[in-house]
Amino acid sequence: MKRPKFPVLHIWLDELSDIVKDEGILIFIILLPLAYPILYAMIYNTETQRQLPICVVDESMTDRSRDFIRRVDATPEVKVETYCAEMGEAQELMRRREVFGILRIPKEFDERLWRGQQAVVGLYSDLTSMLYYKVEYLAVINVAQELNRNIKVREHQSNITAREEELARWPIRFDEVKLYNSAGGFAAFLIPPVLMLILQQALCLGVGMSMGRARERFRGLVIPPTKHYKNTLEIVLGKGLVHFSIFFIMALYMAYCVTHWFGLPQLGHFWELVGFFVPYLLACTYMAIFWSSFVYRREDCILLFVFMSIPLLFISGVSWPGASIPQFWKYFGYIFPSTWGVNAYVRIQGMGASLGDCHQELLALWRLTGVYFILSCFVYMYEIRKSVGRTLFN
Amino acid sequence: MRQAFLDIWTIIRRELNTFSRRPIFFVVMFVAPLGFLTFFTTLMEAGLPTKLPAALVDEDNTHVTRQLTRILGAMEETHFVMQSYSFTEARQAMQRGEIYAIFRIPKGTTEAALTQRQPVISFYTNDTYFIPASLLMKDMRKMSEMAGLAMTRATMRARGFRDDQIMGTLQPIVVESHPLGNSFLNYSVVLSNLLVPGLLMLVIMLTTSYALGMEWKRGTQKKLYEMGKGRIWVIVFGKLIPQTVVYTVMFWLIDIIFYSYLQFPCACGIPRMMLWGFLAVLASQGFGLLLFEAFPGQMRMAMSACSLLGVMQFSLAGFSFPVSAMDAPFQWLSNIFPLHHYFLIYVNQCLNGYPIYYAWSSVAALLCIFFLPQLFSFRLTDAFLHKEYRA
Repeated sequence: MKRPKFPVLHIWLDELSDIVKDEGILIFIILLPLAYPILYAMIYNTETQRQLPICVVDESMTDRSRDFIRRVDATPEVKVETYCAEMGEAQELMRRREVFGILRIPKEFDERLWRGQQAVVGLYSDLTSMLYYKVEYLAVINVAQELNRNIKVREHQSNITAREEELARWPIRFDEVKLYNSAGGFAAFLIPPVLMLILQQALCLGVGMSMGRARERFRGLVIPPTKHYKNTLEIVLGKGLVHFSIFFIMALYMAYCVTHWFGLPQLGHFWELVGFFVPYLLACTYMAIFWSSFVYRREDCILLFVFMSIPLLFISGVSWPGASIPQFWKYFGYIFPSTWGVNAYVRIQGMGASLGDCHQELLALWRLTGVYFILSCFVYMYEIRKSVGRTLFN
Repeated sequence: MRQAFLDIWTIIRRELNTFSRRPIFFVVMFVAPLGFLTFFTTLMEAGLPTKLPAALVDEDNTHVTRQLTRILGAMEETHFVMQSYSFTEARQAMQRGEIYAIFRIPKGTTEAALTQRQPVISFYTNDTYFIPASLLMKDMRKMSEMAGLAMTRATMRARGFRDDQIMGTLQPIVVESHPLGNSFLNYSVVLSNLLVPGLLMLVIMLTTSYALGMEWKRGTQKKLYEMGKGRIWVIVFGKLIPQTVVYTVMFWLIDIIFYSYLQFPCACGIPRMMLWGFLAVLASQGFGLLLFEAFPGQMRMAMSACSLLGVMQFSLAGFSFPVSAMDAPFQWLSNIFPLHHYFLIYVNQCLNGYPIYYAWSSVAALLCIFFLPQLFSFRLTDAFLHKEYRA
């Protein structure tokens, strides 16, 4: 057989036609990156909990307590589902999961307020989800603070002008600004990192499956016994290029289509995204090639790679704050492109950072690309030697 | 009957023999569960993250604002790692990911406060990082509220009010919050308690279809069928009992470490949690088996389905984002996942200590998922007799 003019291109074509013919691989490199982001975005699409049912135990039964309850009911966060006569009844509703919180207004609520003393209302939250506690607490504390201001002004300070009243309510004004995720929603915070993880995991699975398949086909070798699979550099480049090119399209699909469809933050400029995706996908591809060389059966890689996704999400420092991750795990996370990629993507796409702002992450990604590329070369060098040995032996 | 048990025993011995020859079983059965356990419990050792990095932009820089910032600096969650006079500088630090929040005191704050002209202070949190942003927001809000109240208190003291009178005026209604079951709001309790069993359940689903599919891959399915004399239940029991035993022991180990060693709250006692753990193992095996019956003999498709659905169950279980907040189709979909039901049982039993009666539907659902593959066992018979592994 004549040696082709562009062996890299040849290997690229070979690999591509191999992938297209294999439905097992197609699931992971086409279906997974196409469908999974949409599914995830749909799950979290509602962004936050609204109108969480709670019940009220109003022991005070006064005008003021009813006013308090009406205001709580009017918040977007919670809905007063029902009234209970006593705590036992309310607890029963909570056990049956009909309500997720109890607001208790004590008997002496109104009396104490008239006497100018502090009155305590109790909020009992179901901790099935931390979010329940957060929305209930926010709703009740906001109402309490507003009423406090009213009481302070109307009942304790008389004969004042409107301006003085305003000042008594708010001696200092404060603005709270939620940057980059103004609704404080779940989708805008969780989906971007998940997109990056999907890219890495799908790459690992796809590459792992195709290498496992090669090993099964060529009796333990990962390279086909044809002529143009002779040069390490050409093989590594050609193989890497296949997966890189497919996933580059997937990455753009995620950064543009999915982000746009679900109204996720989209502040990154095209060339900045490209400048990030190139090192990220290269690092992921060569990491996948390197780790896959340890997989001997094609199904084994599903077993090994799938459950890594969840620890990797946590180690990236997006869901669990990076500042609170123990040193050891921080260093452990450095060897995975996703740790850097998630942070860089979130900043470029979600916060409008420039490539310069993420230079640390990008540098790390290029370094990982280099390291994994060299390691992959070693793997293939070893494989070529093995295959030559076997041919001679045969 | 006696013969059936003997056959099961033969298949179990054959299965154990396979385990001993394939290191991957050792990795997924022992290394992975222990790895998850170590990872999550050490990662979230802090429980509630504290001392989160934030920036302070004090454009005013007077003794009043410095006092304000000292109070803020003393709060639990906030740690000022950066002090700057320019907001742009702080924003860039936020974009570099060095800080999660900015507290800004504009020029003229003190002057406005002294002359009663209502100064405005502002704080910015980076909500792309959800947990730290929520925690810092809480601190800063409390602080701002307090700052306003402190100013009124000073005036009232000067007018000769007693402190209890002042509190009655400044903060007449106090909200006392009781997060039930996890009063320290320890995130590790919420997350480790479900992520570790959840990952174990994912591994169980995958190994179930892996162990079964391996027979077709090695072309030994006919032999196995003969060993079981064509009785599907004998074959399935023989194949899966070794895994059931190992994974149940791992589950129990996790329970003991969580509730005895790490002292996570457990209102129902460890033995009860062990029982639910055992049920969760069975249901996960049932789920894996069900998917294998959906793609009989095709190990790769079954495993792909297992992994796609298995990872999805972490989102649909509802412990991070509540199921009640999702759209209706996903609320229904969540019911097919064993992790969702294990989660509901965990909340009912371990976190709240309610009678199991209130979570009976979840117990029933887990049993259902365990028994459901029985209905489709004819597909396995068909696969044993007619299906071959396709490369």
